[in-house]
Amino acid sequence: MIKKIISIFIIIASIVSCSSSDDAGSGSGNSVDGFNRQSMLTNWADNIIIPVFQDLNTQLADLVTSKNSFIAAPNQTNLEAFRASWLKAYKVWQYAEMFNIGEAEAINYYSKMNIYPTSVPEIESNIASGTYNLSHPNNQDAVGFPALDYLLYGVANNDMDILSIYTTNVNAENYKNYLSDLVNEMKTLTNSVLNNWTTIYRGQFVSSTANTATSSTNKLTNDFIFYYEKGLRANKIGIPAGVFSTNPLPKKVEAYYKSDVSKELTLVALDAVQDFFNGKAYNSNETDASFKQYLQYLNSVRNGEDLDVLINNQINLARSKVVDLNPNFTEQITTNNAEMTNAYNELQKVVVLIKVDMVQSMNISVDYVDADGD
Amino acid sequence: MKNIFVAATLTALFLTSCSSDDVNTSTPDNTGVTAPETYIFKRGGESSVSFGGQTTRILMAEEFVSALKDNTKSETDLNAMFTHVEGESDFTDTDLNASGKNIRSKVAASKDYFSANITVSNEIKADFDAWIAEQANIVFPNWTTTATSGVAGQLQQFNGGSTRYINAKGLELNQAVAKGLIGGLMADQMLNNYLSITVLDEGSNKANNTNDIVEDGKTYTSMEHKWDEAYGYLYGTELDPSFPVLGADSFLNTYLKQVDADSDFSGTANAVFEAFKLGRAAIVAKNYVVRDAQAQIIRENISKVIAVRAVHYLQSGKTKIAEGDMAAAFHQLSEGFGFIYSLQFTRKPNTNAPYFSHNDVQAYVAELMTGNGFWDVSNETLDTISEEIADRFNFSVAQAAN
Repeated sequence: MIKKIISIFIIIASIVSCSSSDDAGSGSGNSVDGFNRQSMLTNWADNIIIPVFQDLNTQLADLVTSKNSFIAAPNQTNLEAFRASWLKAYKVWQYAEMFNIGEAEAINYYSKMNIYPTSVPEIESNIASGTYNLSHPNNQDAVGFPALDYLLYGVANNDMDILSIYTTNVNAENYKNYLSDLVNEMKTLTNSVLNNWTTIYRGQFVSSTANTATSSTNKLTNDFIFYYEKGLRANKIGIPAGVFSTNPLPKKVEAYYKSDVSKELTLVALDAVQDFFNGKAYNSNETDASFKQYLQYLNSVRNGEDLDVLINNQINLARSKVVDLNPNFTEQITTNNAEMTNAYNELQKVVVLIKVDMVQSMNISVDYVDADGD
Repeated sequence: MKNIFVAATLTALFLTSCSSDDVNTSTPDNTGVTAPETYIFKRGGESSVSFGGQTTRILMAEEFVSALKDNTKSETDLNAMFTHVEGESDFTDTDLNASGKNIRSKVAASKDYFSANITVSNEIKADFDAWIAEQANIVFPNWTTTATSGVAGQLQQFNGGSTRYINAKGLELNQAVAKGLIGGLMADQMLNNYLSITVLDEGSNKANNTNDIVEDGKTYTSMEHKWDEAYGYLYGTELDPSFPVLGADSFLNTYLKQVDADSDFSGTANAVFEAFKLGRAAIVAKNYVVRDAQAQIIRENISKVIAVRAVHYLQSGKTKIAEGDMAAAFHQLSEGFGFIYSLQFTRKPNTNAPYFSHNDVQAYVAELMTGNGFWDVSNETLDTISEEIADRFNFSVAQAAN
């Protein structure tokens, strides 16, 4: 009898759920489909998101330290140490960029950390004038990791000339100040995002279990897909490969001035996406409630195959294409862009699986559309 | 145990109630959806139909293919028209110059076929680029040269007919481009993009349409608009697009008319128009099963238009070769070449595939262009290709040839 009632309820619920996308959840940890969203939110917050921001905050503290050493003594040794801290932090950033929620969303964190290509004229004009507001939206392409990429690798043609920018150049003080302000700003922003998570936001996040457009699962699912589609697929590969333009734009790669780490950063980002999908803890190999488990719980299949398996397989296939690319994407695009677009093709196939099949299974609405019509 | 039961029930329900691949068994008669007489749809007394972007691109394509026959144009001029940038004076029509749209960005660019197939999309775009370059750099400088096998130039048709300007293989590159665009731009965007479930139902389109949520400041829902954009690629240059008379452009609209004029294929144009109207009415009625069934009808018929014209021109070319009128033959074969190229953008109903794949088409192109191309193409080659195309579309070569 109870089973009958449940199944009738489910029948009604799922009929409703097919036509409407904003129905409220049950209010307990369980959403209308019975999956315990709270356990997934808890895993995301405690084992992935907060540890990622903790690590990023630590890396940025190191970056501040090596920046301070460099400014105190701009020599080759300190330059190299500074660059090493930059790359290490940039890799951890690849794990953080997708979590554009809570404080990160409120302060537009991502736009202040990783907008590229960075604008050399804006950076140089800020430095020349010595007055700037780094958190102003106009400066989003003059700050963050890409601005550092320019200042540490691209500001002059070789290391000796780069060092002279910070020593003998007439504007050396302004250059050093900008470098310092830039790094301090990144640290401050990251600190505030982390703090918000550990003090207020974590509780709100895990208790928002309903299925509305503003519920935690719905929002972060959208953030995850948006990040994958835009931050990873388009920004790292598609845009420089010319997928959205008449010609390839090889200067639009991530870390253009360092030049030989674009692939490495992309591979880290792919790991971050896959780990999040599988609910893998940031600091260990433990896995817990996740998209993967959710899809398994719903027994989601596509053409007779388990959707969670298809998604992992497709990410793996995409990774194998990226692995084959030149570490320097600019070179790859200039010499053989077809390999770049082949990698893009496999990355794109993941979009369909997560943006259509996955969200339909979980009855989550995608809250954005490609602006690509006429 | 309960969870498993619930999950299984849910899954079964989702599979049946949410599947987007439902095979439609309904006919328009028993669906409760009625198509209006004309393609007029309104919301709050105002028209909810809009496809300005499609009209713009067709008009750009018109000027562009005309320019391909103007030997004063440079490769740069032609490319500028093909890849127009907003504000540049590439066209005589100032409205087109002001537009931010261009032709090339929508060639081989449908969501279903090319969103995860960029490498092939780029190869196709590069084919168009190469035809344009060869026209400007080889054919234009030889505008007054008499064409011979292996030499680009001009040839006049018998009885004081038109002069044809061809490359060294007898191919009119302007025809390759123009007829290639019928598939690569119009059919691909219609059949594989705007009529695609992926596009029609993208994001919240379905929920918004069901709840009558229109686009910001517009009179239409996104889904209605997508459907209209498909409509626009076929009827966008009609004087009264709500009631098409056909023959309005140099592209798909005109060739639908020509195929319909062949008694073996009469009714094709009406089938397409009726399906467009009924599909749009179904969107208004929120009946997505009927909508998707109409998309299949449009796909089948528009694909057939391309195939019929491909076979028709190969056969006419064969006849003209027999008559010894090589200029006329090359013109026919060049149109055929463009339609064969367009076959890769056709859409088999209820599949995600064209009737002829990119590789199939590449093989035909290679076969036709081998050696000195049309100068020495054999009747066997023309007949074999004709029969293969006709077979796959279930018509006969004879039906298409007349």
